[in-house]
Amino acid sequence: MSSAEKRTTTTTAAVPVSRKRARHGDLWKFLGKRLGIGVLLVFGVMLVSFLLTQRVPGDPAAANLGQQAIEDPAAVAAFRAKYGLDKPLPVQFLTYVWNVLHGDLGLSQQSHRPVSTDLAEYVPATFELAIFAIVLSLLIGVTFGVLAAVTRDRWPDQVLRVVSLGGVSMPTFWIALMAFYLLFFKWGILPGGGRLDPTQTPPDHITGMYTVDALLHGQWSLFGSALYHLVLPGLVLATYTIGLLLRFTRASVLEILGNDYVRAARAKGLPERVVVMRHVLRPALVSIITVAGVAFGSLLSGAVLVESIFSWPGLGAYAYLSAINLDLPAIMGVSLVVAVVYIGLNLLVDVLYGVIDPRIRLS
Amino acid sequence: MRIRSWTASCLAASLVVGLAACSSTSSTATNPVVGSTTSAAAGSQAPAAGSSAPAGSTSAGGASSSSSAAPVVTSSGTLVVDTAFQLKTVDPGRMFEPTGLLIDHAMYSTLLTFTGDDVKKPVPDLAESYSASADGKVYTFKLRKDAVFSDGTPVTSADVVFSLNRVANLKGNPSFLMAGITVTAPDASTVVLTSATPNPAIPFIVPNSALGILNSKAVKAAGGSDAVGADSADKAETALNTKSQGSGQYILDSYSTTTQVKLTANPKYWGTKPKYETIIVRNVQANVQKLNVIKGQSQIAVDLSPAQADGLGSSVQTISGASPNVFFLFTNNSATVSKVTSNPDFQEAVRYGVDYDSLVNLAGSGAVQANGIIPTMFLGSLAAGTGIKRDVARAKAALAKSGITDPTVTLSYPSDIQVNGLNFGDLAARVQANLKDVGITVKLAPASVQTALDTYRGGKEEMGLWEWGPDYPDPGDYLNFLPGQVVGKRANWLAGQSPALEALGTKAGATIDDATRVTQYTEIQKMMNQAGPIMPLIQPAQIIVAATSVKNVKANALWLVNLSELG
Repeated sequence: MSSAEKRTTTTTAAVPVSRKRARHGDLWKFLGKRLGIGVLLVFGVMLVSFLLTQRVPGDPAAANLGQQAIEDPAAVAAFRAKYGLDKPLPVQFLTYVWNVLHGDLGLSQQSHRPVSTDLAEYVPATFELAIFAIVLSLLIGVTFGVLAAVTRDRWPDQVLRVVSLGGVSMPTFWIALMAFYLLFFKWGILPGGGRLDPTQTPPDHITGMYTVDALLHGQWSLFGSALYHLVLPGLVLATYTIGLLLRFTRASVLEILGNDYVRAARAKGLPERVVVMRHVLRPALVSIITVAGVAFGSLLSGAVLVESIFSWPGLGAYAYLSAINLDLPAIMGVSLVVAVVYIGLNLLVDVLYGVIDPRIRLS
Repeated sequence: MRIRSWTASCLAASLVVGLAACSSTSSTATNPVVGSTTSAAAGSQAPAAGSSAPAGSTSAGGASSSSSAAPVVTSSGTLVVDTAFQLKTVDPGRMFEPTGLLIDHAMYSTLLTFTGDDVKKPVPDLAESYSASADGKVYTFKLRKDAVFSDGTPVTSADVVFSLNRVANLKGNPSFLMAGITVTAPDASTVVLTSATPNPAIPFIVPNSALGILNSKAVKAAGGSDAVGADSADKAETALNTKSQGSGQYILDSYSTTTQVKLTANPKYWGTKPKYETIIVRNVQANVQKLNVIKGQSQIAVDLSPAQADGLGSSVQTISGASPNVFFLFTNNSATVSKVTSNPDFQEAVRYGVDYDSLVNLAGSGAVQANGIIPTMFLGSLAAGTGIKRDVARAKAALAKSGITDPTVTLSYPSDIQVNGLNFGDLAARVQANLKDVGITVKLAPASVQTALDTYRGGKEEMGLWEWGPDYPDPGDYLNFLPGQVVGKRANWLAGQSPALEALGTKAGATIDDATRVTQYTEIQKMMNQAGPIMPLIQPAQIIVAATSVKNVKANALWLVNLSELG
């Protein structure tokens, strides 16, 4: 190789490295920008939540003190002092923000514990349920969505379209009650409620998700029980997202199946499974992930009824109790968690776009 | 071919999920049933004393559950109680919610207590005897010598003084129970409660679970304080929510305000040992409670409505009677708030326009008319059949006499809560229909309880439909309905507006002799039924459903069920 050739080779080898570095730089810039926007959004959510909770007619002292205690000025004053309600609103908000920055979300009026302690207990319970539901939804929704698309207008497609329509149309509380009645009461094949049998002791806290913690501790029987208790509420919660993902997957796959490159792949003689898995499903995943991300967020924040019916001590049940007790610190805490989760999920979805589709990464 | 392969893949995936999900079925479905398997309780319990109302009947029978699955959650010696939690803490000094009263009663002995469903006669608990001074201001309690806390420490008068002073100084929900009362301990086994004014209710107040006696040394070690300023200085709540410090039959094993509270038998308990080694109180919705108790997943359900308790089957017993909660109607007595509702003749029109029997029917089996403001099971309650009866002609005449034509009034009530399974909205709609017959148009104004509480407590509601649950089972608690008192003020029935009634109330509040008190409280209620802005409506049904294996289940007005007495 001549020296000129060597120089050329060196130069051409250097270009991709610098491009790669530039791309990495762009990625970090993108992530930094998104994180910055996320922080602003979280602050906005805190401000709006705070202002809205102040506008709610009703007095937290009246909500939390009894008939007699509310008539006792000393008891009312002690309550207001304990929860900082005796300070002006701007001071209350700034104090709250300052405390949040230091990891203190305040004291819950309904549980008399730090909100952060409550959230540490309830958020993992909802996460466990939501993760189970979304995994189930992806597994079933995507699989059957692809099946419906590749069998378009034939009987599997017709059946799946009816099923998916049912999934997105039926109210969750109705499904929950029916599932509870049939699967627990009538047939006795699944437990009725709770995260474990009442006589069982939860595993030592690591993640707060009983299935994961039981596995990490090697407590197989407890893992089985936790999983067993997860099935019924998980299935009910997943019903809507299964229907939704099935419909979206079908639509996306059908759209891509009509592309020229798919016809080309088929013309090359590739097996249908390879065509679908490699050339159809991957591009379809972009829209599926978008829907799944939003659906996961709604699973986290919208499990109130399911958690209530199945006695599942999660974020939804906590949010409901907070609302009816006018427990402002807890309401703020829940809003904060939901906001962070939504923002985090959106960021994750954006990053996943790049992983799935190199064109997005490059652009 | 393509369809087959996709279908196969889908089925395989579903199978994997299904198998994983059901992998634990066998491990949890075969636990044994709760200890006793004796036959159904039969007969009926004695009606609540002092009342001819059907305040407590027990029945077993009916159709059995269609399911053949075995109970899955109980083990020998374990009792599971389902209730919709109203629980914020189990620290007695801060607790005053129904579920807290139920649980704390099992963990904390009190000076006096009640047995079964009889709340008219306080009986010894930690105090083996007590005496009252002639003026009703000084109550002396002699403590038993053999009582010990769960760590074996003897219960002394110092513990009683600490516990009661702590309740007073925490300035929490139950602090009012100690209002005007000072506690002293002349010696290690004597406690003296001195009231600033005559207080015949003290023997009925001290059984309250909130006045449970704490192990003072242990609580102080955990940051507890009984001194003035305890509302900010006391840090023992978290510790008491982790480990109980009482001398009751049970100790706290685990605690959650949203899932369950687990109690285990106190091995150091100084009295009769409880039957059940473990009691689990779970947070469960009423409709799910029904299915659980039929299914054998729980042994007691306490929140069922009469409709839910109907036809439950032979596997359970139903204890049905009147609840101590009283629904009442008030018309605002202030002309500033309403010229209509403050008119005494309009008030009479409402009083006689309401169809009390239809409200009782609406509330279901077990409910009774509130003849007076004092519930049927308490001292001084009016006999059944002596309450107001609907008289439309009299109501119309009163309305005509008022000079108000075609009145329209607004009835406020909390729309998002139920009491004993009864909706305020259903009752309000029935009242609306009743009063329409008289010529009164009622506009319903439902609101969330927190919003409605503000206007109710502020005395701003033109007409209100509310409920009162007893703070302690003594008629003195119902003096709150008199002019110038807690509820009276909410109806703008102010001090000085009914001098004779107020004078009688003051007298009754200071009388010690029970026979005289019965006479006085009877007279007070009759006067309230003749005139005034407050109209007692009904006591809804209190339903407790229990497995037939559980014996001695009785509804108690204070702590719902005495868990320690169950056999």
